[in-house]
Amino acid sequence: MKLTFKWLNEYVNLDGLSAEQIADRLTMLGLEVDAVVHMAGGLEGLRTARIRKVLPHPDADRLTVCEVEVGAELIQVVCGAPNAREGLLTAIARPGVILPNGMKIRKAKVRGQESLGMLCSAKELGLSEEHRGILEISGDIDSGVDLVQALGLDDVMIEIDLTPNRPDCASVLGIAREVAGFAGRKLRPPVSREELPALAQSHPEFSVEIREADLCPRYAARKLSGVTIAPSPKWLQQRLQAVGMRPINNIVDITNYVMLELGQPLHAFDFARLTDGRIVVRCPREGERQFTTLDGQLRNLEPDMLMICDGERPVAVAGIMGGLESEVIEGTREILLESACFNPVSIRRTARRLNIASEASYRFERGIDPNGVDIALERAVRLMVELAGAKLVEGGVDLYPGRRSEHVQPLRCSRVRDLLGMELGEERITDLLRSIQLGVTAKGEGVLEVTIPSFRVDIEREVDLVEEIARLAGYNSIPTSLPQIGMDYPKRDPLRTLRQEISRILVARGFTEAINYSFSASRKIDQLQIPIEDRRRKVTRLLNPLAEEQEIMRSLLLPGLLDNIRHNHNHQWPDVALFETGKIFAQLQRGVLPEERLQLCAVLSGKRHSKAAPLYFSNFEADIFDLKGVVESIFHDLSLTGMHGKLDFVGVSDKVQPYCQEGFTILIRDGGTDVGLLGKINQQVLRAFGIKQDVYFLEMDLNEVNALPRVNKVFQSLPRFPAVKRDIALIVPEPVAAGELIDSIILLDEKIIEDAELFDVYRGKPVEKGRKSVAIAVTYRSPDKTLDDETVDIVHEKIVNTLMSRFGGRYRD
Amino acid sequence: MDVELKRLEQEAESALAALSRAEDLEPFRVRYLGRKGLLSTVMRQLGQVSPEERPRLGQLANQIKQGIEQRFEEKKAALDFSDGVVQQAADLSLPGRALPFGRLHPVTQVMEEICAIFEGMGFAVAEGPDVELDHYNFAALNIPEHHPARDMHDTFYVSESILLRTHTSPMQARIMETQQPPLRYIAPGKVYRCDSDITHTPMFHQVEGFLVDRRVSFADLKGVLTSFTQRMFKNDLSLRFRPSFFPFTEPSAEVDIACVICGGSGCRVCKRTGWLEILGAGLIDPEVLKMVGYDPETFSGFAFGLGVERIAMLKYGIDDIRLFYENDLRFLSQF
Repeated sequence: MKLTFKWLNEYVNLDGLSAEQIADRLTMLGLEVDAVVHMAGGLEGLRTARIRKVLPHPDADRLTVCEVEVGAELIQVVCGAPNAREGLLTAIARPGVILPNGMKIRKAKVRGQESLGMLCSAKELGLSEEHRGILEISGDIDSGVDLVQALGLDDVMIEIDLTPNRPDCASVLGIAREVAGFAGRKLRPPVSREELPALAQSHPEFSVEIREADLCPRYAARKLSGVTIAPSPKWLQQRLQAVGMRPINNIVDITNYVMLELGQPLHAFDFARLTDGRIVVRCPREGERQFTTLDGQLRNLEPDMLMICDGERPVAVAGIMGGLESEVIEGTREILLESACFNPVSIRRTARRLNIASEASYRFERGIDPNGVDIALERAVRLMVELAGAKLVEGGVDLYPGRRSEHVQPLRCSRVRDLLGMELGEERITDLLRSIQLGVTAKGEGVLEVTIPSFRVDIEREVDLVEEIARLAGYNSIPTSLPQIGMDYPKRDPLRTLRQEISRILVARGFTEAINYSFSASRKIDQLQIPIEDRRRKVTRLLNPLAEEQEIMRSLLLPGLLDNIRHNHNHQWPDVALFETGKIFAQLQRGVLPEERLQLCAVLSGKRHSKAAPLYFSNFEADIFDLKGVVESIFHDLSLTGMHGKLDFVGVSDKVQPYCQEGFTILIRDGGTDVGLLGKINQQVLRAFGIKQDVYFLEMDLNEVNALPRVNKVFQSLPRFPAVKRDIALIVPEPVAAGELIDSIILLDEKIIEDAELFDVYRGKPVEKGRKSVAIAVTYRSPDKTLDDETVDIVHEKIVNTLMSRFGGRYRD
Repeated sequence: MDVELKRLEQEAESALAALSRAEDLEPFRVRYLGRKGLLSTVMRQLGQVSPEERPRLGQLANQIKQGIEQRFEEKKAALDFSDGVVQQAADLSLPGRALPFGRLHPVTQVMEEICAIFEGMGFAVAEGPDVELDHYNFAALNIPEHHPARDMHDTFYVSESILLRTHTSPMQARIMETQQPPLRYIAPGKVYRCDSDITHTPMFHQVEGFLVDRRVSFADLKGVLTSFTQRMFKNDLSLRFRPSFFPFTEPSAEVDIACVICGGSGCRVCKRTGWLEILGAGLIDPEVLKMVGYDPETFSGFAFGLGVERIAMLKYGIDDIRLFYENDLRFLSQF
């Protein structure tokens, strides 16, 4: 909602108040002011000037030398505008003036001719985009006058961001009512109820019939004749322009003006084009399927849309937009002026389906004052008589089937105190409510009866009055206190805790958290080569996505992170370790909410140590074992274990997932169920995502992980006797997995074996091809004595022999 | 021989005192303490002295030799130390040896901080579904179909009755439906609106909170939110409450804090008003309470909601919300 300071001043005396002060008070009353614009900003020092003489420039074809009158002075100015002509009143910027575009005017010689200023175009003045010629000012205005005054720009535009509950403030008068309330001044409406003429149920020259009383609680109309369609007077045009509305002609401008002034949308029909002089408010008949609105668009009608019809056919979409064939045109002489009230839900449904958002539908959807219909009609009629030469046809029709009795709402002062936590006396409450024209009668025992005026469609309940009181008293005058609630330790969601714990571990391991949109695209699932019957193809699809890239809810996190890798690689950040914990969605059944599960995905690409690495660390590429280490530390740090006591990493040779590279996949298993997966992304998928570097990934279902048992930590007493360490280096055939060697040592179940750790795997000279050297450190310890060499030797030899015989190994010195 | 020993002791002492370079240590040792050094030479003459004098002179010679040896070692240690600094000085300007360390996303950091403040005040955390029923997102919050307030929410739909939640407020209805007051909950999570520009992304994060009990007042709401904003920003932060409108609260408020960029004097970020809007709040509308079967005459409560990205942007001075979702490590590694 836009209005101007001067406009507002017509309905409430603003003496002593600045636009900024008003804006501030309105904002604190819940009418949030978005902008305060001084319309004359940047036009200081500009004046009107009348061209007296136009002579050709002696040395330039396109320039003229003008003699210009500025008040009592006559000065010479060189001008290049094609519309410079004798008698024209325009704007002049004299030396020293700075234009809104920053240009500073100087005394100059243009091709040898002196120029003491510049005649300006509307664009140069920041008034419009018009720059084909200098500004033309019409009207009875002298030269030498301040330009701001001459153009009526000496005003301030105030823009208010209205909340949907306050349609009464979608009018200048509504805002004035609030201002009058807080400033304690009198409201001066343009027309008062006492001045209204009596209207009837019928009229000799036209008829009105409401067939859908539920959708149209009130319809009033009056006829005007002898109208001359012409541009509106300057002040009216300026006012409309100031609030962002385009002037059209006097009749249309007046309907718009009254709508902005009083909040009541009006419509003017060309009476000559209404068949039988009839107005019928009804829904479309069969066969009335299409209708052309005045913007020239052909609209499809549906049977429940309320239309305004004449004796034959629809002439307007009720409350939303008029029809092309009955609109006021140049030759219009007689007008039927409509002022009505429509059902908000019906208007909203129709406006939505027709995809029209008009100033009228905005107001009707939110609810206008049904009692203001006749006042707005009278106001518009008077303006048309005054400004469009119209002759009023006596009488008029006013049908009001939806008339409602005054709403009286009881209010307990104790309720105000309880809800606001503030003591306000009965008297103060009464004063506050009366300041915005609510009627208040004391009923005794702290109860008030409040009469709600019809324009406040938002006040229906006691609590609504409590809000009004809080708003008028000022939220900032309400004290602050803290609720008194018994102590209670809030329950924690274990899944949320798990997510936090895992995130912390990953961060400590060098991974940075990413957050991607929950949206994805089917194309991404194709790029991962996921088969048709896969669960991740059962996606939740949006009916109204913003883009094709965001058409579905993601069914896995990987695509987002692969896109992130490419983005970082493209921005010279080659070493990427990212993770995300987020929901994935599976639409297993139509028409119900999808299944939402929490997934963890981590990706790794590039060097293990990204920053300052060559100085201290070998510059190794990260690989699958970095990720395996991460998972191991998650399990270890969180004391997670399998349902059957152990979580296993199972290296598998097939792909498991279509996006894996064969031979680089490890399943994380709890007995028979998979908890997660880690592996290397295959080349085809990398190509599809535009990544030119190896990528390793980890996927874990956190709902599954959350279900895993946790081992209680039990203290182990510290060993009292020293350990003995012995190394074994064995040359074994290539296919032997190092992990199997360790496992078979542990499986020997010798009491003194405390630990066996792999510390080197070596291929190459002097080890022959097809074999590798594996080095293992075995720790021996006894809980009750210091081990001697002989005891250790016996077990150690047993280990070596077992490994050599089982794996075809050979001892290496 | 007494005299000779004493003289030698003095000579060695002064030579040692004058010694200042590590490379002079060895010649000194050879000259005085070596097998063919001056002290040994003198001591070899012990055989020639009288047997009565021999033990005393032997003891004296040993004392002197040990004394010189001890002071030589001290000198050596001192020179080694100071030389060490000079010769092996590390370049201390080299960077620290940083092991890789990641970062939580700034949105997560801010969200955890918000949750921690409310958890400290006894609020429990509950997370609901992202894909939600129209009922919980709108109808249960007093936003019936065809209510103009639906314009405030540009909604993504999955079907006529299923949508992406436009706020985390549905948790209010979901929790109140199954529990009885007193209730204190916050609901953090992702929310969705079909809107995308420099200040809007189609997905963002919200923390919704509510409290229901007997005789909960607007003053209580002000108290809790004042505590929160002061913990979140700074202790003496001023804030103001402005009337606003939400269909599920009455009275409704918007909460502004003094601009954290300019301190309230007016800048581009606060549009020269000195204030920044950070929260929506209000007393829970009696209609919402009635729908879950609470008697509004017995119970009252308040609810509030805040945008996490907005707070993160203010906290870190981020000017484009879209940066949060590019996952550019140049951005993420700053927080």
